[in-house]
Amino acid sequence: MKRSRLAFSILAAGLGLPAAALAAPFTCPSRGGDIVFGQEANVNSLDQMTSSTISTRNIAMNIYESLMTRDENNRPILELAESMEESGDGLTYTFKLRRGITFHNGKPMTSADVVASFNRYNRIGLQRSTLDNVAGWDAPDPYTFIIRMKHVQPTFIEALSSFSVPIVIIPSEHENDERQQLRTVGTGPFRLLEFVPGSHAKLGRFDGYQPNTAFEQRTGFGGYRVACVDTVTFRIVTEASARVAGLETGELQAVEDVPTRSLDSLRRNNAITILPLQNWWIQIALPNTANPPTNNLAFRRAVQAAMGMEDIMDAATDGNFRLNVGFQFPNQPSYTDAGKETYNINDQARARALLRESGYRGEPITILTNRDYPPMYNAALVMQQQLRAVGINANLRVVDWPTSVQMSQRVNSDEWHFFHSGWGTQPALGALATMQFLVSPGANYRPRDDKDDPDVLAAWNDMNNLRDPAARQDAFARMQRLVLERAYAYPFGSLTKVQAVRANVKNFVPFRIPRFSNVWVQR
Amino acid sequence: MIGVAAGRVLSAIPVLFIVSLITFGLMRLIPGDPAAAIAGVAATPAQIEQLRRDLGLDQPLWLQLVDYYRGLAQGDLGRSLLLGKGVFAATMERLPVTIGLSLYALVFTLLIGIASGIIAALRQNSWIDQAAMMFAMIGISVPNFFLGLLMIILFAVHLGWLPSGGYVAFSADPLGWLRSLAMPAFSLALLQAGLLARITRSSMLEVLRQDYIRTARAKGLPQRKVVLKHALSNALIPIVTVVGIIVSLLLSGAVVTEALFSIPGMGQLLTQAVLNRDYPMVQGGLLLVTTFLVLVNISVDVLYAVLDPRVRYE
Repeated sequence: MKRSRLAFSILAAGLGLPAAALAAPFTCPSRGGDIVFGQEANVNSLDQMTSSTISTRNIAMNIYESLMTRDENNRPILELAESMEESGDGLTYTFKLRRGITFHNGKPMTSADVVASFNRYNRIGLQRSTLDNVAGWDAPDPYTFIIRMKHVQPTFIEALSSFSVPIVIIPSEHENDERQQLRTVGTGPFRLLEFVPGSHAKLGRFDGYQPNTAFEQRTGFGGYRVACVDTVTFRIVTEASARVAGLETGELQAVEDVPTRSLDSLRRNNAITILPLQNWWIQIALPNTANPPTNNLAFRRAVQAAMGMEDIMDAATDGNFRLNVGFQFPNQPSYTDAGKETYNINDQARARALLRESGYRGEPITILTNRDYPPMYNAALVMQQQLRAVGINANLRVVDWPTSVQMSQRVNSDEWHFFHSGWGTQPALGALATMQFLVSPGANYRPRDDKDDPDVLAAWNDMNNLRDPAARQDAFARMQRLVLERAYAYPFGSLTKVQAVRANVKNFVPFRIPRFSNVWVQR
Repeated sequence: MIGVAAGRVLSAIPVLFIVSLITFGLMRLIPGDPAAAIAGVAATPAQIEQLRRDLGLDQPLWLQLVDYYRGLAQGDLGRSLLLGKGVFAATMERLPVTIGLSLYALVFTLLIGIASGIIAALRQNSWIDQAAMMFAMIGISVPNFFLGLLMIILFAVHLGWLPSGGYVAFSADPLGWLRSLAMPAFSLALLQAGLLARITRSSMLEVLRQDYIRTARAKGLPQRKVVLKHALSNALIPIVTVVGIIVSLLLSGAVVTEALFSIPGMGQLLTQAVLNRDYPMVQGGLLLVTTFLVLVNISVDVLYAVLDPRVRYE
């Protein structure tokens, strides 16, 4: 069997560096100190296998590690694996584990722990469908782990390295821990010292941590990571004003989601550094194509033509946004502007002409949104006004997030016409993770009887099954163009989330989670 | 007296049953998908569906109700969907925090409310009376959320005297506990103190007009003794009634205060549970809080008899 060694190519792609350049790893300019991070959302559990919430990931991904993860540009990289080989027939993946890794309880990590982790994930992992096409796994020796596939799946590594609900590696004795009751023991640079749900989680430096010497710097969720500070406390501060006050007093050294109204005063404060985190999520509305008039393409195009994205995004984000075509962020390799002619048209005459063509007679249109996520509510409010300006009888239906999701998922529902959402994690993971939202069973545009548009479905199948990455990218561009041209989704632009730190907190670079490895406190 | 208290406890059982039934029904009537709430905004429809099955939310309603009462009969309040731990354990972690905050606020309420009420009554229609009642009106009118924010800006950001938020357990550091809860307790207390001041004033005014007070003064008793022993003790019945209600209001008012000051109490727990449709947590948590409030009310009833020998329970 012909085997191709992919470890180096993945590493090189991830770092953009030749192996010879990996010579001078990061060292902490200063060690010690404590950081308190003001987190906006509650954390209910630190079981990373059974939670997809951002608040859990924020903390847990400083504690746990996986075989593979994503780099700064969200490309797959090795983490606890030293190498990965895909067999020539694409049916076997062989991972060699890094040696000398120990868990926070002092136990050395071996392939038995990897097997146990996969077993638990396959039993209760929230995204265990990742393993649907996996025939099995085994560990022929303590440092080798093999995954056998049922069928060739060219995108398997992309799925395996996902940080949405990652297959984190836990000690084998925790295999049978129940959902949300996983004992918090990982291999990461920080270990859990104390967790009080609703209040805080305190992490301490793990002195037995072995940095990944295949890298020289932290990158994305992995790379060469070192804990410089003694402790990091994630304190739950749900009120934005209280987070800002805590940052100003110095009780908090870093915070997330700084409100726009506080930015001016914080910028004047020399003790504070503002850090915008661009491309946090894509603001989006999706039509219900099961019922009239949104089942009519001309009507959906009229809506598309009526909308001005600057105004919608400005209101949604308090001015913190970038205009962005499509379903990927501009910094991603998979980004494409296919279908750009459908974006930000803002042409009322054209919208009215398309409305006439659609035969629209002023029927009430319901825009479904929520107040749990203010950007979604604000975007819906401006969209409503823009639609009314061209003669569409648009009304808002405001419920809470769980209700809006429940309503949006009912097949053939006549309760709503447009559903407002925000896509963050999936676009960051790549085109494949994002476009699953546009095919059944999860098609957010809710086609009649959940029957996919055959052209969209064909493009989706190509995205999944073509062996050549370039061909898969072409399929993604084709799918994006189809979705935009047929107005199955209205992506408005990307939202910027603003974080801030005290000026003496160094090397804190905003990312999908607040990363505290390679961050130090200047004395 | 013990028999009376035991009787009251027994009569509370139907109340608790009705509360449990209403809570169960109301939670199911609220639209919204617990799986969507728990999975978060980043979840895919497939993940939400998976979670729905994992949590048993696809079971028929009657089966969920039978399971709930079977658990209650065995003393099991169920397991929180959100926290993955027992409802009783989760409540017992948070309820003491809220009770501590409420008692701290109650101390402020009693000190401010009763003192200003007595002074206002003694100086009826003077500027002191008017100032005290204006203070009471402000206390009743200003939302504790707004007051809390003002206090954070003044005492934490500008003066640096108190922490802007967070919670220190009493067992870990009693002084830290007093400091961490000072602003939350005061902002929570002010509304109730205003209410109590007005009640105390009117109750005191009524008692101060009684013949026995006039007699006490005619006998030459010092003002302090007349006010505190003869007037206040007789004015206490309506005050105690209101204090019983205030305890309930402080517990429910803690929801907003806990969120503002990042205090991991019962208010935050139940708010999150309702927002996330964590059915077992809301059902069990409310049942325990209701039990606590029923016990407070029984205690108030018992206290009547202690304070006023004329009160007899048959």
